[in-house]
Amino acid sequence: MESRLLHIFRNNPLGRETLFQSIYFCKKIGASPVLYIPKTTKFLMYFDNDVVQVDLDASYLTSPDTAEKHAAEILEQAGLQPRFLDPKHYTASTLPDIHTNFDYMCCPRAISDMSSKIGLGYIGPRVRRIVNAARFPVLITSPVYKEWKRIAVFFGGSANALKALRLGFNVSRFSGLKLDIFTQTGKSSKEDYKQVIKDENLEQEMDLYVDQWHFFENREFEENLYDVPHDALVILGAYGHGLIKNFVFGSMMEKIQSTISNNLLVAGPNFTILR
Amino acid sequence: MRILKSWRYPGNWPFFRFDDRLLLILMAAIVGNFSGLASVALNRGLLLMSEWLHHFRHYWWVFVLPAIGAALSSLFLEKIVKEGAGHGVPEVIYSVSRYGGLLRFRSSFSRLISSCLTIGSGGSAGPEAPVVISGAAIGSNIAKYFSLNDRQRVTLVGCGAAGAISSIFNAPIAGMVFAIEVIVGEWKSVNIVPIAIASVAGTEISRILQGNQIPFRHHLFKIDLLNIFACLGLAVLAAAAVILLTRMLRSMHTVSHKVSAPVWIRAAIGGCAVGVIGLFLPVVLGDGYHSVEILIEGEYGQILTVVALASFAKIAATALTLGWGGSGGIFAPCLVIGSLVGVTYHHLLALFMPSISWVNEGYFALLGMAGLISGMLQAPLTGIFLIIEITGGWEVILPLIMVSAVTTTLCRYFEPASYYLKDLVEHGHLLRPGTDARVLSDLTVPELIERDCITVNQNMLLRDFIAIIKKSHRNYFPVADEKTGDFLGIIHLDDIRPHLFNPVMYDAVFLGQIMNTQVETVHPDDDLLDVLRTMDMKSLFSMPVVLNNKFLGLISKATILDQYRKELMVQTSHQE
Repeated sequence: MESRLLHIFRNNPLGRETLFQSIYFCKKIGASPVLYIPKTTKFLMYFDNDVVQVDLDASYLTSPDTAEKHAAEILEQAGLQPRFLDPKHYTASTLPDIHTNFDYMCCPRAISDMSSKIGLGYIGPRVRRIVNAARFPVLITSPVYKEWKRIAVFFGGSANALKALRLGFNVSRFSGLKLDIFTQTGKSSKEDYKQVIKDENLEQEMDLYVDQWHFFENREFEENLYDVPHDALVILGAYGHGLIKNFVFGSMMEKIQSTISNNLLVAGPNFTILR
Repeated sequence: MRILKSWRYPGNWPFFRFDDRLLLILMAAIVGNFSGLASVALNRGLLLMSEWLHHFRHYWWVFVLPAIGAALSSLFLEKIVKEGAGHGVPEVIYSVSRYGGLLRFRSSFSRLISSCLTIGSGGSAGPEAPVVISGAAIGSNIAKYFSLNDRQRVTLVGCGAAGAISSIFNAPIAGMVFAIEVIVGEWKSVNIVPIAIASVAGTEISRILQGNQIPFRHHLFKIDLLNIFACLGLAVLAAAAVILLTRMLRSMHTVSHKVSAPVWIRAAIGGCAVGVIGLFLPVVLGDGYHSVEILIEGEYGQILTVVALASFAKIAATALTLGWGGSGGIFAPCLVIGSLVGVTYHHLLALFMPSISWVNEGYFALLGMAGLISGMLQAPLTGIFLIIEITGGWEVILPLIMVSAVTTTLCRYFEPASYYLKDLVEHGHLLRPGTDARVLSDLTVPELIERDCITVNQNMLLRDFIAIIKKSHRNYFPVADEKTGDFLGIIHLDDIRPHLFNPVMYDAVFLGQIMNTQVETVHPDDDLLDVLRTMDMKSLFSMPVVLNNKFLGLISKATILDQYRKELMVQTSHQE
């Protein structure tokens, strides 16, 4: 069965840019977008071990009478059949349940906060909760429509990084684009990272899909991010820590997203679906 | 660092994985304590509010107090915690039915604050349902933190509800029975033991912090056979009150939604109306425990008309408070209405049969409470045990059982589902464990698709098709467009039977001519219950699954039955 991407449509110019990103992603990997046009600013997403209430900012309800028409137009222009999600279940009369049986989901960096819509800002707490709880990876788009012609995977050797790498192989396979791997070497050597690949039996995939493996050895991580191609889809794994843990321990995802404006595909700790 | 990392998944600690039952008992004790604390917090909050607002009770504008409270409560729920209004018990049952008891963390405190504002200011509602959702949410989030599975999570949700009810009424058995009868809906030892532990923990917390007192003073009633049989009439009256209350609550809800004003304004309108009623009949204000005490004591001292009017007024006030957007539950109003109905019935008996020596009116007040609780919740055991525990009146157990049983039966006749379950049943959301609907809800169309189908095209000759049939073991063959691959229709072996024994037709008939294009199709997101309903209505054994005009596979009754059995075994394998 074809893979599906959940997109929460915002009926304004910013939402149009985000929808363009979703459409581009879907066309690249052969997925089909499923649009949810919110009727209220709240909805619930029930995951395996968590329920996330998404409180949208009011701009998601702009001109509700034209929302479906605008979304359908954009999809049809892209040659895709418009498919809209109509919630079947409601936790309370004003709280629709959005099912989570998707392969991808598209989110802006913040979904509930108006202050950081255009700028890079920070990844909002709701988006973090979704990344943390979801089985699917989350496409966090750049503020304006940006095509990607390469794939960049951040790999630090952890279990989550391995998930991201496998996701990168999949995207590479579907899109036909080669991928580059970026590793910031810390205490471990290059050989240690290569050993991780060997231990996971990923050598064959590395040969098939990987163009180059870049090791950052000298400068600060943020400085090295300049070497990441501006037209790459950046794939990374995330622990899904909350804001406090990130503040205490630091977050690689936050560093990356706040430094580069590329589209990000984030695989959370529960990411499992690979089709 | 490793120690810090291990804190992230405490559910994986070897200690907690030693034995699942011990783990659940330990968790139940924790959940019971926390939900007990939540109940005590709400109790104290209500006392504080009541003491603080007492100074304003003699002002002429006192009737706006319930309006202010309801409006603030609604604003708090809508704007601050962004949670839908309502008393929350249906939300807990819905989550148990459909999502393995997953509840939002904010639910563990939101209703405590909102109901404190509503009830403390004089709104006609009870604090029990808010503490139930609070306790249930505490249980759910503790289960989430320790990465427990769905079944264990549901049990802890029940533990939270049990701990909360046990604590607020100082009634462990009622808490336990309520959690199993109303929330979990499954009398299995795997649930009963942890829920009992949580009830004990919740009660103990309440006793430590508030003292071991029963809410209403115990009275000894001299009950003869006549008084026992007289309670049958009370059961009928209680059932009528339940039906009136249920319908008024729903109609007020409908009427309030037709008013095009913000929810907090609507709540204020309801609160203001309650305030006005309260000016004339103060018995309708707040949770009404004090009034219940007076009624049980037999010291209400009002004539029949006033008591009957007070019963109607309390029903109207509760419907106005909850139906128009105030926050709270129906437990306490049921106790007040029940006791008023009981006293009304006693007055009626005394009026029409003055020669008979009837027992004290407190006896009928007590039975009325049991009738209202049992009928409203359609949970007779909860009604019986609650009244016994909060009044200490074991000697009235026989008439209590009679009233509870008769009221529940009569209510079921007019309202097949309880007030908590009515909406859930109407929307098909009540999925009790092991039931047909529950098993089907856990299966999805994509996992049942049979993909080993041979797709043919509309331009294929019958001769070529017959060659394909020889290789296939299936009766259905999807037809797809030769160029676009779009699904066009389906051919069943029966469709070609007339041509099979006529070789002349082999090179004359194209599949496009004989295929069935009026086919009922299934979308991968469709509910299996709807799919089965369509199959039954149209006498179908298989249906094609189509997405974006592309054929994905077939879904058949045989496969559904096979998976149904497996799922049923999974759902019932840990039950005892």
